[in-house]
Amino acid sequence: MSTPALCAAGLSKHFGRVRALDDCTFDLPEGRVIALVGPNGAGKSTLLSLASGLIRPTAGSISVHGTPVRGRMHPDVAYLAQNRPLYPDFTVREVIQAVGAMNERWSQPRVEEVLDMLAGVDRDAKVRALSAGARTQVAIALALGRLPKVLLLDEPLSDLDPLARDETLRIVMTEVADRGTTVLMSSHLLSDLSEVCDHLLLVVEGQVRLNGDVEDVLAEHRVLVGPRDDESAVSGVVVSASRAERQATLLVRGADPVPAGWVADRPDLESLVVGYLRAARERAAARR
Amino acid sequence: MIRVVWRQQRAQLITMLAVFVVGAAALLAVRASMVSYLDGHALGNCVAIGIRADGGCGNDVVQSFQDIWFDRMKVGQLFVLALPVLVGLFGGAPLFARELEQGTHVLAFTQSVSRIRWMSSKIAVAAAPALVVVVALQLLVEWWVGAAGKIGPLASGPYFYATFGTSGLAPVAYTLFAFSLGMFVGAASRRTLVAMTVTLAVTVVLRYALSSLQKFLVSAQRIVSDDPSVSKVEPGSLTVFGGYLDANGNVVPNANSAVMNCGSKGDAPVTDTATCYRDHGLVKWFADVVPAEAAGTVHLVEAAIYLGLAVVLVLATGWAVRRQA
Repeated sequence: MSTPALCAAGLSKHFGRVRALDDCTFDLPEGRVIALVGPNGAGKSTLLSLASGLIRPTAGSISVHGTPVRGRMHPDVAYLAQNRPLYPDFTVREVIQAVGAMNERWSQPRVEEVLDMLAGVDRDAKVRALSAGARTQVAIALALGRLPKVLLLDEPLSDLDPLARDETLRIVMTEVADRGTTVLMSSHLLSDLSEVCDHLLLVVEGQVRLNGDVEDVLAEHRVLVGPRDDESAVSGVVVSASRAERQATLLVRGADPVPAGWVADRPDLESLVVGYLRAARERAAARR
Repeated sequence: MIRVVWRQQRAQLITMLAVFVVGAAALLAVRASMVSYLDGHALGNCVAIGIRADGGCGNDVVQSFQDIWFDRMKVGQLFVLALPVLVGLFGGAPLFARELEQGTHVLAFTQSVSRIRWMSSKIAVAAAPALVVVVALQLLVEWWVGAAGKIGPLASGPYFYATFGTSGLAPVAYTLFAFSLGMFVGAASRRTLVAMTVTLAVTVVLRYALSSLQKFLVSAQRIVSDDPSVSKVEPGSLTVFGGYLDANGNVVPNANSAVMNCGSKGDAPVTDTATCYRDHGLVKWFADVVPAEAAGTVHLVEAAIYLGLAVVLVLATGWAVRRQA
């Protein structure tokens, strides 16, 4: 097996008493489009910031293609931050020049290519005058200009209208197809993710709950619908359950064989993730 | 990197250049006007010798010049005194705070340039032009005040607060200190307004505190007068401590009563004050002073304090920037 694109070992990040990430150990394979999902505040942005070297871990380590990341950007990584930081009083052209000057490996043609995609971005427009979609396009173009092997995208689709969302995903998928880049992308837009992602990393309360190929993960789970008074017949781990008067609907991991009287169905990515998120919320509510 | 940072700070640098051009033009004009006044009233000799009745430079002649020009020159000096604080407020304080407030530091932090290089480029591009402007305006004001010679503020000696703070290394040292203070507080607090407020308050308080301790910055020299009734303090020097010595050369602790005894009493004036002092145990007069010639050393010591603090603040800024997310 080739070295993993991203490898975390005992990775923890605490902000005061808040444990944003707690002792996470996982490998992410190369050349995949990985969906990073989890409830708000689960530690997704923290994980991406750690992988980009923007913040340092409290404990443990994270490495990219075998090289540990510590306190500065790994040369093979590009990062799209959630707030799309760009100098507001620069023109698009000036921002591109500026970011080019801050990088040793830089492909101006790649940036131009990405900016010319879709409706195109006016190079002489001031950054503060750009629409949210155009800002994201500029920010992604700058990230791809670094010719990364690992692309970290923090909420690349937030603030975008459906058309821009679609187009942004198209830019990312073109990159993956052209250069075989590994993409780790956090988002709440599960239906959009399910179209492009082939690997899932689910983080809840600072810990990794699921990490695997989307197909494998989905195959491991079953949505079971059956009589409420017969739940003990179900084998495997019940992730979440919703119960009506007589009938129970359960998301179960490893439910083989399916007990008699129950109907089993394969979950889709969206219902799987929603099941995990609901369970997390119920656990959090029960603690209060 | 320098070009990027220059483009980012372009607006401030242009503003500073404008302040410099306007300030320099005003100083040149006002100096020319003063020089023509001095020439027109034939005060050239008085500039060299100061207020002296025998040289045709009596109080009355000089007074009319000073009525017009003395306060103007003082305002010029106060302008130079204010410049370092302005550099700290508008150059140092927003340097990192504004990027941290807007989150744009993340753009630089996620490229391959190191944080230290990013930081030092920003410091260099902001601080170097500010220093040049401060020094240029300082020299222009010194040149103007110098034209009034001994009938201008320079007559009050090198320790006169407006003169001391605008000559020698002082403006450079104050500027570097105020700039690094603003920069550090901005990087640590991530708030421009907080950084500006703290910079203003701390700079003013520290400047006041250190200027009141000015006479203790170098060791004083003791000057002694054998005639206890005659003091020998040179004009322009700083007196740290003064009093009388007894026959053994020790300081007389409570000389006031003796001095009072030798004052005029009713109709009988004391004719020989010196003898009277000696009779009361005050054998010699003395003063511990920092002479005017030591001004250079005082400047060096004061500048060393400010520059030392500035170095600490720059290092602390590096620490604050490194731990930013």
